Amino acid sequence: MLQAQDIHFCIRNLPIIDKASISLSPGELTVILGPNGAGKSTLFKVLAGDIPCKYGKVAYNGAPINGFSAKNLALVRAVMPQHSSLTFPFKALEVVELGLLACGTSHRADLVEEVMKETHTWGLRDQLYGNLSGGEKQRVQLGRVLTQIWDKKPFPRYLLLDEPTSSMDIALQHHVLRIIHKIKKRNIGVLAILHDLNLAANYADKVILLKKGRILYQGPVKEVMTAANLEEVFEHPIQVFSESEEAPMIIQSVPFIQNHLEIKLA
Amino acid sequence: MGIALVAVSVMSLSMGAFRIPISNVLGILSDVVGLGFTDFNQQESNVLLQIRLPRIAMAVLVGGGLGITGAALQGLFRNPLVEPGLIGVSSGGAFFAVVFIVFGSSFPFLVYFGGIGLPLFAFLGGLINTLLVYKMGSTAGRTDISLLILAGVALNALSGALIGLVIFYADDAALRNFTFWSLGDVGGANWSKVGIAFLLISGPVILVLSQFKNLNALSIGENEAFHMGVDVQKVKYILLLSSAMIVGTAVSLTGTIGFVGLIVPHLIRMMFGADHRLVLPGSFLLGACLLTFADLLARTIVMPSEIPVGIITAIIGAPFFIWLIINVKKIRS
Repeated sequence: MLQAQDIHFCIRNLPIIDKASISLSPGELTVILGPNGAGKSTLFKVLAGDIPCKYGKVAYNGAPINGFSAKNLALVRAVMPQHSSLTFPFKALEVVELGLLACGTSHRADLVEEVMKETHTWGLRDQLYGNLSGGEKQRVQLGRVLTQIWDKKPFPRYLLLDEPTSSMDIALQHHVLRIIHKIKKRNIGVLAILHDLNLAANYADKVILLKKGRILYQGPVKEVMTAANLEEVFEHPIQVFSESEEAPMIIQSVPFIQNHLEIKLA
Repeated sequence: MGIALVAVSVMSLSMGAFRIPISNVLGILSDVVGLGFTDFNQQESNVLLQIRLPRIAMAVLVGGGLGITGAALQGLFRNPLVEPGLIGVSSGGAFFAVVFIVFGSSFPFLVYFGGIGLPLFAFLGGLINTLLVYKMGSTAGRTDISLLILAGVALNALSGALIGLVIFYADDAALRNFTFWSLGDVGGANWSKVGIAFLLISGPVILVLSQFKNLNALSIGENEAFHMGVDVQKVKYILLLSSAMIVGTAVSLTGTIGFVGLIVPHLIRMMFGADHRLVLPGSFLLGACLLTFADLLARTIVMPSEIPVGIITAIIGAPFFIWLIINVKKIRS
């Protein structure tokens, strides 16, 4: 279990995160949703261990995060940031292989091949990372973080993803969320920041709605992602369609103007 | 690469103001290790063993040291335009050296240091500057790379100004002394200096070599490296201190030799890719090759006189640097 209790984070006395408590179990996908500036990335960084947290506790599998060395922490959780740029000419394969660093072995050709095939990047392996498209880069980075926690261990591991699909087309977005769905079964808990409400609604197990540094709602998708809650968080009219328990949820943000009306007005 | 280094070294041993045929070079060398060839004369042997061989050994150590430091710092700063002079080692060393050259005679106690006084002083200056830059560049235990670079630029400027100030008070002899020292020269090498260089450079070089995995991880970013289990702060300490030690020693023994640390890692990356497993040792070998070769040019172009080797590396290096800047611009746009 990844647990965060009463996380409080201020910059110049301005609260960025205000008393946030969350818990993430292995085998589930929790998605953080919220408008820009809600504190999603800050919360994410506190959980990843990038920002030391003065107030509140973060614990991985029951052990407080400040007790972990960088190396041991890397065995329990992998992190994929929004953007990663490389100055030097590394090949895609070499980038994915970096994920092996924490395991201590630098050569696990079978594992790397399996992960790269899973992320559809095996064909890109000999290309320079710098020459790849935005979506391809994200898949290679996903490959890297998956490599880090791919091997089954006696303890649960966690994967933190900050907008992993932001540069991807629709088909790839679904592909990535299917990969996430699959790896949950490896005793891995996944926490992702997403912007797409429909992806969140249809793939997540739990949702956290964050606004101005405070968690307004969190829990199972059906309970949390109601039109009223979403409208409150995003301050925009939103409609939620859900025909039955089995049918996919469709979430629509309502436009202020409609094309045909605008033409009439003109 | 290793073969190229041996070839350049042997060529370098043979050529110069006093020419020794390659066959005799090999003869003398095998005699030293006890194989007993005697097909050479004593004068050749002396020139080779007492003048040329220590000189080449020095070029290999310093060139290799500068090359690997360049590779390590570029990796650490994630910036292809970084070179060892950037973190202030060279300028700090130069400042302390000029103080020693100009005012040294007014402090009688410095005489006790003998010939090692200048190197020791320059090394100290380099280390002080590096530590200052590092202190200025870190806040709350974390090092901010852009701050570090800015601090390096500022300290380099300050050292430059102080050097100017000291030179203002210098007499002609001291001025000439300093000018030649600052241009860089491996000519003064003897076995005791090579011994010092070997002691001070080999340790940090091995330490830097051992960091290749961490440097690979750092190429994606400091946060990402931390996520993958790298103790980023510790790695920074190791790399910065090793670099200061290598470059400080190099500067103190041979003056400021520019551009080797800048060009060499780039050439290696073009040849072998960006994996530091190859880039680090490759940069050492190519740096050694390059400086040995530059030194060969330095002492053969205007025989029997010599050009300071720093001029040669700058003549090769500066146009390459310009080319690099233009290319980086192209990539960005």
